[in-house]
Amino acid sequence: MLCNWGPHTAFQILQDKGAEIPPEVKMIRIPCTGRISKSLLFKAFEMGADGVALIGCEPGACRYGSGTAAARENTQDMREILGLLGLGKERLRLATFLPDDSELLLQFLKNFCRDIQSLGKSPLALGKATKPEAASKELLSDIISSHDVYACQDCGKCSSTCPLALSGKDFSPRALASSIIAGDLDSSYVNEDVWACLTCGLCYDRCPSGINFPEFIRDARRFFKKAGVDGREAHGGFFQSLMRAMSSPKIKTERWTWLPDNIKLDHESKVLFFGGCAPFFDVFFRHHLSVQTSDIIVDSLRLLNFFDIKPALLKDERCCGHDLLWSGDQENFLRLAKFNVDLIHSLGIKEVVTSCPECYRTLKHDYTNYGLELKFKVTHIYDFLEKEIDKGAVSFKKIDKKLTFQDPCRLSRLEQKADLPRMLIKRLKGDRFQEMPDSKAAAICCGNSAWTGCDSFSKALQVKRLRQAHGTGSDLLVTACPKCQIHLKCAMEDPFLGDELSMEMMDLTSLIAKTICWE
Amino acid sequence: MTDKHKKSKKEIIITGFGGQGIIMAGRILGRSAALGDRKESVFTQSYGPESRGGACNAQVVISEEPIRYPYVRHPDILICMSQTGYEKFIMQMTNETILLIDQDLVHLTLNKCDSFSIPATRMAEELGRKMMANIIMLGFCTTITKVVSIDAALDSVADSVPKGTEETNIRAFKKGFDYGLAILKGRDRKAVGKTGAV
Repeated sequence: MLCNWGPHTAFQILQDKGAEIPPEVKMIRIPCTGRISKSLLFKAFEMGADGVALIGCEPGACRYGSGTAAARENTQDMREILGLLGLGKERLRLATFLPDDSELLLQFLKNFCRDIQSLGKSPLALGKATKPEAASKELLSDIISSHDVYACQDCGKCSSTCPLALSGKDFSPRALASSIIAGDLDSSYVNEDVWACLTCGLCYDRCPSGINFPEFIRDARRFFKKAGVDGREAHGGFFQSLMRAMSSPKIKTERWTWLPDNIKLDHESKVLFFGGCAPFFDVFFRHHLSVQTSDIIVDSLRLLNFFDIKPALLKDERCCGHDLLWSGDQENFLRLAKFNVDLIHSLGIKEVVTSCPECYRTLKHDYTNYGLELKFKVTHIYDFLEKEIDKGAVSFKKIDKKLTFQDPCRLSRLEQKADLPRMLIKRLKGDRFQEMPDSKAAAICCGNSAWTGCDSFSKALQVKRLRQAHGTGSDLLVTACPKCQIHLKCAMEDPFLGDELSMEMMDLTSLIAKTICWE
Repeated sequence: MTDKHKKSKKEIIITGFGGQGIIMAGRILGRSAALGDRKESVFTQSYGPESRGGACNAQVVISEEPIRYPYVRHPDILICMSQTGYEKFIMQMTNETILLIDQDLVHLTLNKCDSFSIPATRMAEELGRKMMANIIMLGFCTTITKVVSIDAALDSVADSVPKGTEETNIRAFKKGFDYGLAILKGRDRKAVGKTGAV
């Protein structure tokens, strides 16, 4: 990708001279390297590129001032993500040239092509985007009847509890359901709202007919995806791209390279720790939110070690597929699921422990719901911890903070395990623990679940949630899902509200790991 | 533990209030050694004013060889579930005695020997029956002292408790057993100076 301004001139000089530009170079003219987001950089790989060079102007020569700096951050982050993904950092490079530097540019392109050739073909096998097919009406009517959406009594309890509707969005689960039943599939309202739903499950909790609205939306998205409706993916669809990329058969992720040395692992162990995508999140949000969600993974491993469990890790663990499943891409979800299950079975694993509520839900229920047979049991780290701590002889150091807790929707509502984290919190020695007004199964969502439909209304509900957290008079917000951390942190950075919302956050696993000790 | 201890017999005193299941615990311990572990064992229970309430105690001797004297003079293992019981036997402890106490019921006044504490009664209450504190204590004693094997102890718990309560009593036993494991693990970690997770 070549910036319109400086380097493009250099490139044209090469063309005018008839210089031997390597034939595999496919030049794409762009307005400024600063505008090439991480998701666009990754899209190039998803579309089949073996290497990508982002070529811009020298730092002082950027026509827009900050373009080169932004490009530098983006490429740095992307290179790290490519590394974790097992694609190799070297496949992405940033270079800057002045208009006169045509010879240097030629040299760079030759070197780059040579390096990429030595790396070989990209292992990503998803060159072609799936063509929108005529999504069959039968699929949709199957989805409607399998969730018995016809049983909707139109009572409106869903709309009166939906956190999106309560934050002012013109959104109603029952209206959406009846529009879909009525076949009003092309209306902009349906096409937009089917992606706006947070799938947090509050409406399902209240529905007198027991319609599982989040799962209905999940399956309906599959239909709309097939019909070619834009999925309104957040962050330019980066995370969906990333997870699709992980479903390529040849990819070998290298997601554990950063683990501290003092973590004790045992590759023969029959207990496996499934980490989840936190390392990718941390790199992606590094310059924006500086979240540290991979601490949750490290602290989980430390806690397993604390109780003398040396777990195995999947060397090339892939995403569990949660986000693809919940954003309508069932095909790639199933591919991921199969890869993971086969790999886990090949190691003879008896128990899989995970700290991510989404991985837990997906591994435990969705894999079997979609026909995979599991020869291992799935345990959430909280279940493990509660069992071990209950045996006694451990205590906790004092925490000089007042605690409150943000429920993760996957654990508290979809898995109905709201009491589990609370049992652990009550064991901790915080100054006190105060629930927010909406808690346990009634808790308000952190604002997003499958990286779709983030908008000003989901932001408004996050603000509301953080105000509730402040209202408890607490100074430490305990979370239990990496995404709660990311989304609430994002809301705290609201420039109009300044510091009003800021609050220290820590994951429950980390809080336990930091304070637990043998008596 | 030294070789001398391994070879020689084990003398055990269990003490507490009448009604705590002290005698029962002693009998289970003796049975597990005799029937399960195929050792010799002798069990005597206090019979005197104490059997009308107040402090009571059970004495068990376990040995590989025939036992010629049934009473305990200096216990190798002393299990205390009441303060008066503890105070009564304080003078009979040696510095090699292993002392096991219910930490909520006994306050240690003398640091003569190695002691291990467990909130047995509290744990039994959490399990739903205060009566089971003795069984929890037995489980705890099994891990800490290894005086009987776990299988032998489990079998004799199941055989000795009232019909219909076997399952809950086994659960109580395991609770005490696991607590003992955790205590020993904690001691090991402390010994190497690593008590936290981070």
